[in-house]
Amino acid sequence: MRAVFKREMQSFFLTPAAYVFMGVFLALSGIFFIQGNLLPRSGDLTGLIAMLGYLWMLLSPVLAMRLMAEERYRKTDQLLFSSPVSLTGVVCGKFLAAAAVLLCTVGCTFLYALIVAVYGKLYVAEVAVSYLGLILLGLSFLAMDLFVSCFAKTQMTAVMLGFGANLLLWLSDLAAAAAGEGLIKSVLSFLSLYQRFVPFTQGLLSFSNVLFNVLFVGLMLFLSVRVLDARRWSEA
Amino acid sequence: MWYNKLSKSAENTGVKSRMVIFEGISKRYGSHQALEEVSFTLKKGQVLGLLGQNGAGKSTAMNIMTGCLAATKGRVLIDGHDVLLEPRAARRMIGYLPEAAPLYDEMTVRGYLRFACELKEVEKKHIAGHVQQIAEKTGLQDVLNRKIGNLSKGYRQRVGIAQALCGAPDVIILDEPTAGLDPSQASELRALIRSLQGEHTVIFSSHILSEVQSVCDRVMILHHGKVLCDSGLEELKKRENKLRAVIACGEGTLLPALHSLEKIKKVEVIRGGEPGTTQVLLTVSEEGAERELFTLLCAMQAPLLRLQAQEKSLEEIFLQTIGENI
Repeated sequence: MRAVFKREMQSFFLTPAAYVFMGVFLALSGIFFIQGNLLPRSGDLTGLIAMLGYLWMLLSPVLAMRLMAEERYRKTDQLLFSSPVSLTGVVCGKFLAAAAVLLCTVGCTFLYALIVAVYGKLYVAEVAVSYLGLILLGLSFLAMDLFVSCFAKTQMTAVMLGFGANLLLWLSDLAAAAAGEGLIKSVLSFLSLYQRFVPFTQGLLSFSNVLFNVLFVGLMLFLSVRVLDARRWSEA
Repeated sequence: MWYNKLSKSAENTGVKSRMVIFEGISKRYGSHQALEEVSFTLKKGQVLGLLGQNGAGKSTAMNIMTGCLAATKGRVLIDGHDVLLEPRAARRMIGYLPEAAPLYDEMTVRGYLRFACELKEVEKKHIAGHVQQIAEKTGLQDVLNRKIGNLSKGYRQRVGIAQALCGAPDVIILDEPTAGLDPSQASELRALIRSLQGEHTVIFSSHILSEVQSVCDRVMILHHGKVLCDSGLEELKKRENKLRAVIACGEGTLLPALHSLEKIKKVEVIRGGEPGTTQVLLTVSEEGAERELFTLLCAMQAPLLRLQAQEKSLEEIFLQTIGENI
């Protein structure tokens, strides 16, 4: 797993993938910060962090698309599958690498908190909980996009599938409203990542929401391993 | 029976020397039967050539051997480890070069080989030395710090082979390693594969017959997912020999005499020889046919002007075997 993680990290930074992701994310978050905090002279970062949640939704497929789909496209997955590393090791190594890039990016946005702390008053606990929510949300999206990427043969399809899946999960409470009453409604509203994220941005730390995100990530990684394993039985 | 005598030693030493056991493997993709009941055993140090036309099932067989694919039926043992039940132990023994070399273009050759060593669980302190050794063996010393994406096809293929050698695996599986190389590169590669013989068990696929002839000591021909032929190379060539003879004797008296010989299966006359001589192509089945022929010609007082063994090329054997089985 360590070897996979290391190689994946190298690849992120040897190719433009990580730079593009971080660049776009940080540029947009910078604009949000200027518009929402600097110009109105506001020290409230929770609004900014809520906006960053939307950015995750849009950008995490870009980070995750190369993880499995690219290996499959370049047929480098055969090297991994014929080596002593287990499928779980491969999936976890890749997920952790992408997660590390995500954490680096989040780390860069701490600069905004620092600016607020220097020139105004920073509500540390509130911001910390918001950040925790943001990171958990990002990891959930990432895990799902990794899972979706296992089905795709090219990066393009992986991105499209990722967007679709993210939107559905993000807005599944809207879908639930449209679904009327019944089982589908309760399943969709249970799955809504947005409903789980909002309390964090209000500074509310709830154990069940943290657990939901952690279990969600675990489930997605588990399913990814199963998909990869199942492919050995069918693929040409 | 001979196997009763052997069975005891097989229990003690035989299992260990049997590196690869392929047991009744079948693979089905939907309605397409890619492999059907393929079985073979390879001893340590053997080089097996897997021959077959495109789509004969060579790559499928190799993917099953490495655990990249699961068989519909049957099992594969690598040094006694089932590739599906004990994947880690089995894959530790395997170095695999798939049909398309699994290369990461953005990495340097050194970085890539280090990664392959880490995957193969080479101890960290040995990795640098190991990579250097493999680079020397495969002629990659000069390009170690170059990006794989910038290398020529020949070098890329060598990097692929170097990757398969990482961790000094006992079994090396190469899927069409010389495909797309120019003749001199291909011959260098064959020399490399020959140098692995003895130390490693090598399985090597190709549709170029002369290549198999020059590298392997055992040949298996696959056709439509079935094994058509599995034997040693020498044995395969000996199966049916042809002799070309020029005899100073008229056709009329010679041919009936030749037909009377037991060990000569077929007599073909080749026209256009010098007058007064007969040129024939004899298909002989066993050893000692030459002696029979000489004795006959001596008795007939017909001088033998030329006798030439016509070695059958693998190509002929291949086409013949496939032809017989269509």
